[in-house]
Amino acid sequence: MIKDILVKRLLLLFPLLLGITLISYFLMVLAPGDPSSMMLDPKIKPADLVRIKENLGLNKPVIVQYFYWLKNVTQGNFGYSYINGRPVFQVIVERLPATLILMSASLFLTLILTVPLGILAAVYNRKHIDNVITIFTFVGMSIPAFWLGLMSILFFSLILGWFPSSGMLDPMRINDSIIDRIKDISLHLILPLLTMTVGNLAGLTKYMKTGMLNVLNQDYILAARSRGFSEFFILWKYAFKNAILPIITILGLSLPNLVGGSFIIEYIFAWPGMGRLGVDSIFMRDFPVIMGIILVSSALIILGNLLADISYYLVDPRISYTKRS
Amino acid sequence: MNFNNSLFAFIKIVVILITISLISSCSSKSNTNTFSVFKNTIPSKEKMNTNGSLIMTLAGDPTYFNPILYTDSESGSVVGLLFNGLIKVNEDLAIVPDLAEKWETKNNGKEWIFHLKKGVLFHDGIELTADDVVYTFQKILDTTTNTVRRSDYVINGKPIAFKKIDKYTVRCVLPETFAPFLLSMGMGIIPKHLLEKENINTADFNRNPIGTGPFKFKTYKTADNVLLVRNDTYFGRKPLLAKIYFKIISEANVRLIALRKGEIDYATVPPKDFEKIKAENKVNVFVYDQLAYTYLGYNYRKPPFSDVRVRQAIAYAVDKRWLIKSIMKDLATPVYSPSHPLLWSHNDNVNKFLYSPEKAKQLLSQAGWKLSNGILKKDGKPFVFDIYMSKGSTTAEKAATKIQQDLKKMGITMNLRVLEWSSLLKIINAPKDPKGYDAVMMAWSLGLDPDSYGIWHSSEYPKGFNHNGYKNKEVDKLLVKGRQVIDQAARKKVYARIYDLIAQDQPYLFLWSPKDVAGVSRRVGGLSKPGPAGLFVNIEDVFVTK
Repeated sequence: MIKDILVKRLLLLFPLLLGITLISYFLMVLAPGDPSSMMLDPKIKPADLVRIKENLGLNKPVIVQYFYWLKNVTQGNFGYSYINGRPVFQVIVERLPATLILMSASLFLTLILTVPLGILAAVYNRKHIDNVITIFTFVGMSIPAFWLGLMSILFFSLILGWFPSSGMLDPMRINDSIIDRIKDISLHLILPLLTMTVGNLAGLTKYMKTGMLNVLNQDYILAARSRGFSEFFILWKYAFKNAILPIITILGLSLPNLVGGSFIIEYIFAWPGMGRLGVDSIFMRDFPVIMGIILVSSALIILGNLLADISYYLVDPRISYTKRS
Repeated sequence: MNFNNSLFAFIKIVVILITISLISSCSSKSNTNTFSVFKNTIPSKEKMNTNGSLIMTLAGDPTYFNPILYTDSESGSVVGLLFNGLIKVNEDLAIVPDLAEKWETKNNGKEWIFHLKKGVLFHDGIELTADDVVYTFQKILDTTTNTVRRSDYVINGKPIAFKKIDKYTVRCVLPETFAPFLLSMGMGIIPKHLLEKENINTADFNRNPIGTGPFKFKTYKTADNVLLVRNDTYFGRKPLLAKIYFKIISEANVRLIALRKGEIDYATVPPKDFEKIKAENKVNVFVYDQLAYTYLGYNYRKPPFSDVRVRQAIAYAVDKRWLIKSIMKDLATPVYSPSHPLLWSHNDNVNKFLYSPEKAKQLLSQAGWKLSNGILKKDGKPFVFDIYMSKGSTTAEKAATKIQQDLKKMGITMNLRVLEWSSLLKIINAPKDPKGYDAVMMAWSLGLDPDSYGIWHSSEYPKGFNHNGYKNKEVDKLLVKGRQVIDQAARKKVYARIYDLIAQDQPYLFLWSPKDVAGVSRRVGGLSKPGPAGLFVNIEDVFVTK
């Protein structure tokens, strides 16, 4: 049965992607400005810009441009960046490692913190521990990442001198041994990781707590308690699996972030990831790169949803994706 | 985009459009060479590290390491170290030989002959010859090359002809006399042998460049850093630095922290941090002029600004000096014409319309505007207009608010409209007459050559950069003449008259010319004289101590 769902959903991927890319292409091209508008110089004759536009194919109707793009993509050619003339595929792929390191570290850290914090807050609902966690989550949610990032650089890097201010690897260490380089990257990773995790943690902990509370108030938990099971056993065996469902949804939805990166964090900490690539490309109207990123991230969103649905099914067999008669 | 001052971009300077948001500013009062040094301790050469690395920054990713393709200042900073032109501009803003040993001109400036230095090697060991020079300019003129430099080598629709005479001699034949020509010979020369079989727009060369410059390209880690190493076979003085790193840090505050922490050797200092950095006394601070000016441009073809008296009245009504003192913290110089005191072509005797609310009122009343209940009206209509500006600069917005207050006193209502850059350009560049705006606040950078045909000639409207539609027949004629007179003294007279006329016509309210503040680590020595070309003009002489 699960196989049927998989096949159906995967087949749906293509029309979905087609629709997403078509709409994105139009939106992008209809926004004011094009790559040549980023090359202004009063000695440049408008004819120069017209010539470059023609060379780039930007004078053709949008729908024709889109089908050119689509045709190339089906042949495995994502095109060349308008801004630096490099193959789009290469431009995107070289940003992946930095983003994956930061985002997966952050996801991991968030998960191992959010689950116990959420459970603690639920078990000790309206007690001191819960209050502390609630205050922390609200503060975490309210602080803009931009400010927190700058402050952490100011405090931990400039004043205390514990960590480097920005970047991923000290360029002077490019030729060091792999162990030393990993050490250096880890040192660079800590501040952006913390800044990012504080924000993520806050929201997820709330979800976890609410989910857990809902479950703990159910009759079957009361029944379990009345049978004299230990509190740990009840939490683990009866409550946890049910409470984790909303978290799975959110994790599924955050899969594209793993690859999409975070513009703000990457911008502040000069982290060479995908988030900056995306936003920079939009500002510079680098259409081929924008389309490449949209294609990759929308495919991941769809896959993320699919994975979340499958996990649902595995965690809670009552959930069914077949039509009810 | 130019958040940072570009270090070496002066090799090929023309007037480049920049938004006000991108201009930072600084202090000085004198009119001649305006730079200041504060409690600076420059290291002596005895302590030099012969294997030292200089760590610079870039505000964003460079695009093309190819002198004929790049348009951003980040690439310019790197490309300037990797390539040489036939000529270069020194720290005194004078043209001096680079790849060319000498040159001569014939036929009233229509023919130029350049004699190349012998034994100049590309970084791959192949000698640079006239073939490479001719190839470079032909590639720029090739219409399939996605370069914005082509029009620099096209005069009135006709391209300049580049011919090889022998291995070390190149002849350039211009379709007509063109005074700014020599400056355009600062274009970096690219190797024919590596590129002739490639598609230059997408060639790997653009990422792995081979030039003739004092430094060789080593690696570029996207969004992270660029590494250059000393070129031991450089034809000029051998560089004292072994390596130059460019760290890519987009956030200006983080760049400054990295400088204060000693992670990088150079960063521009935003005006708001100027006093703090000076007081902290950890790094050397330099203040110097930028060749640029901020202006409020009127829609010249649309009432009320089609009336010269109204434009002049606004010039009288705005207290420029107070604006600079209060908003720019005295880190800018007032400007009265599209020129800068540092340039040879500058004319300081233009009508300055110094602050005088009384004269402003008189002119407005002569133009038929009457004040009633604090509102200026003509034929029953109040004087209300919108000013468009690019988002991103609090300084410019503050300045606009200050101007708004000054005009309010006259009974004029000015509304601020802050737009995204592309949206602003769309309005300004729309090829229609009249354009759909009342006024804009923007900035131009100034070239070393005074030729500003593109901005002021009436044929550059509505397509072109004369976006506000300025038209003055005498200025039109003089702009053409300015391109045809070779003798500098005679040319100076032409531009003196142009600036007189433009100042009188007030197509723009000329506001200020900003200054750069640069913070440099105390381990760096051998800097050039602070000026618009930056501190690293003589990169061969720059050294670090540890």
